Amino acid sequence: MTMFPKLDPILHSELRLAVMSILIGVDEADFTYLKKQTGATSGNLSVQIDKLMAAGYITVEKGFKGKVPHTTCKITTAGQEAFNKYVESLKEYLSASK
Amino acid sequence: MDNSNEQNKEMTAQESLDLISEMLNNNRRCILQNSAKHFILWGALLLVFSIAIYELLHVTRDLRWNLLWFAMPVLGFPLARLLGKKGTVVPQNVISVQLHYIWLAYCAFAVVISIVAMFEMPSCITLLLVALLGFAECSSGLLLKNWPIIIGGFILGVGGAVVAMLVRSEAQLLVFAAGGLILAATGLIVKSQYQ
Repeated sequence: MTMFPKLDPILHSELRLAVMSILIGVDEADFTYLKKQTGATSGNLSVQIDKLMAAGYITVEKGFKGKVPHTTCKITTAGQEAFNKYVESLKEYLSASK
Repeated sequence: MDNSNEQNKEMTAQESLDLISEMLNNNRRCILQNSAKHFILWGALLLVFSIAIYELLHVTRDLRWNLLWFAMPVLGFPLARLLGKKGTVVPQNVISVQLHYIWLAYCAFAVVISIVAMFEMPSCITLLLVALLGFAECSSGLLLKNWPIIIGGFILGVGGAVVAMLVRSEAQLLVFAAGGLILAATGLIVKSQYQ
């Protein structure tokens, strides 16, 4: 299996990439939606969301919907740029390996 | 997807692209499923209201029963809002916002034309409203890149307008009933496509 040492390590992780792929296509998404789409556990998803937030790729807004905690994630401009760069790198790698 | 604790397994370029593609398709599927629910709701409402008003006009011959049309958005919007809150909330994107505006514009056209028709009943009101309804559905299908919605909208708009030219008086209400049926059927087809 080919490894990618030069790819953005924040994005080159299965769950973080899945979260970013969802957020790139929507205005914002709540935690429940991300959990359903990725099939991840709440704990694992929280950890990966924190990492993406620490990298400045997403913003996280925590609030309440009635009495229920509600977390909303939104991709930042830096996140969009990083994602696009990551996809370009993947395409370059694939075309080079052909 | 692998749900291991760290989720940092190395992926090949192809696996990464496949994952991105899978997530984007899932988003698209969710938006289509959500749209299907609204097609079914508004189609069912249109069917019920048009048959009810047709029957009332047929039996009483009192044109004031046409005012019942205004109860449709009054009932429909809270139901649509309730439907949106049911289950997982589907996030908005550029396409869903555009869809929202298309149908909001149709609603505004339909309400204003209906109000004007109360004072000066134009003979072509059914033709106009059914053609606009088909256009709104067809445009939604083009935005969603979904053939059943495009075809459903075309049949509804063009077919409905032609039939509206051929039938007279309260029988024109049955054109709306058929329109409701097509709208709801389209929703059911899309729902079954993406289940």
